[in-house]
Amino acid sequence: MNHAYSFTDRFAGQVRIVSEPRRVLEKQFDRILSEYGTPISRLAFSYEAVASVREELVQEIALAIWQALAHFRGECSERTFVYRIAHNRGLSHVLRRRPPHQPLEDIEESDQPVDPRPLPEEQAVRTDQRAQLMSAIQSLPVTHRQLIVLMLEGLSHAEIADVIGITENNVAVRLTRARKALKDALGARP
Amino acid sequence: MIEDRELESWREQWSNVAEPPAEFQRKLQRRIKREDRRFVLGNVLTLIVFLGLLIFAVFMRHQSSWMGTGWATGICLLVFVSAGYRVWTMLGTWRPQTQSTRAFVELWHKRVVARIRLLRISVYVSLGWIIFCAALTAVNWTTIGPDVRAHPKDWVELLVACVLMQPVIWYWAAWLHRRKVAELNEVKEILDEMDGKSVP
Repeated sequence: MNHAYSFTDRFAGQVRIVSEPRRVLEKQFDRILSEYGTPISRLAFSYEAVASVREELVQEIALAIWQALAHFRGECSERTFVYRIAHNRGLSHVLRRRPPHQPLEDIEESDQPVDPRPLPEEQAVRTDQRAQLMSAIQSLPVTHRQLIVLMLEGLSHAEIADVIGITENNVAVRLTRARKALKDALGARP
Repeated sequence: MIEDRELESWREQWSNVAEPPAEFQRKLQRRIKREDRRFVLGNVLTLIVFLGLLIFAVFMRHQSSWMGTGWATGICLLVFVSAGYRVWTMLGTWRPQTQSTRAFVELWHKRVVARIRLLRISVYVSLGWIIFCAALTAVNWTTIGPDVRAHPKDWVELLVACVLMQPVIWYWAAWLHRRKVAELNEVKEILDEMDGKSVP
């Protein structure tokens, strides 16, 4: 599932004068997109259920990373940097739109996560479970949602604390609450 | 152990959730180019407006009347305040998003509060502006008076347009104020969630 994005490909076949710092930035951006492109898409899924709007959100996140990259001085890890921007952008999206939560049955076929593999019975069950998990995550309060997404992405407590801006102990306490909320949300679904 | 299995199961489901959107790369490239162009165009337009208004102010200043001096002062003030505000906002562009979520939301809260305050001040400033213009007209009545008597229809039309503009501006300000207050409530809600006040 690793998609190799190439930001610099856009210059292929074009004669273009680019300054050295910009070239370095473009390479760095290229690498960030190939490394975090899929996690960013997943993260966007937790903030937006509608496919077309989600695509726009992913673009906005990538754009925000590109624009912030020039100011990145390594005060935190690159991973933290990317997740901070992605979550903050997602949060802005929620604050600006604040649409009512879209129930699972209302999500169009095209909005469902795409799985390229064939759909035998077991696969269909998995797809259904996945859709339920996504819907449950989307129904959580924003702060719980953020914690759950970061946990699912495999960030350590220290990294989550760094992204959100709270202490590690606080992360542990809140994660317990968020997991319980997620379990409740999943349990409440048919 | 059950908890870990549960987490592993969620992670497994989660890892297969989303494919990056089709044609993502090309759309992003277009978007970045568009943003770059918009940024340059925005700055060029601002510079043109800035210089244009300054030239207009200098022209008005040379009208050698109280009215001209008043206009020139008002325009210069408006131009420099606007330019200062633009530079100030540009300095902070994109950086807030790189902060932690908590810092970002707190900053958002401060900004919304500041915008609401600015909106209130703008209403008072607009009232002040009307009074200022009325005073300026009164002071320069010896110059304006003959023209009013010569072209009463034009002046009445101007007055009616000015009066009609007021409700439009007020309605817009009220609408923006309502929007900002709603945004403030949402930001407060998220801050409360972060403090664990309103989360179940």
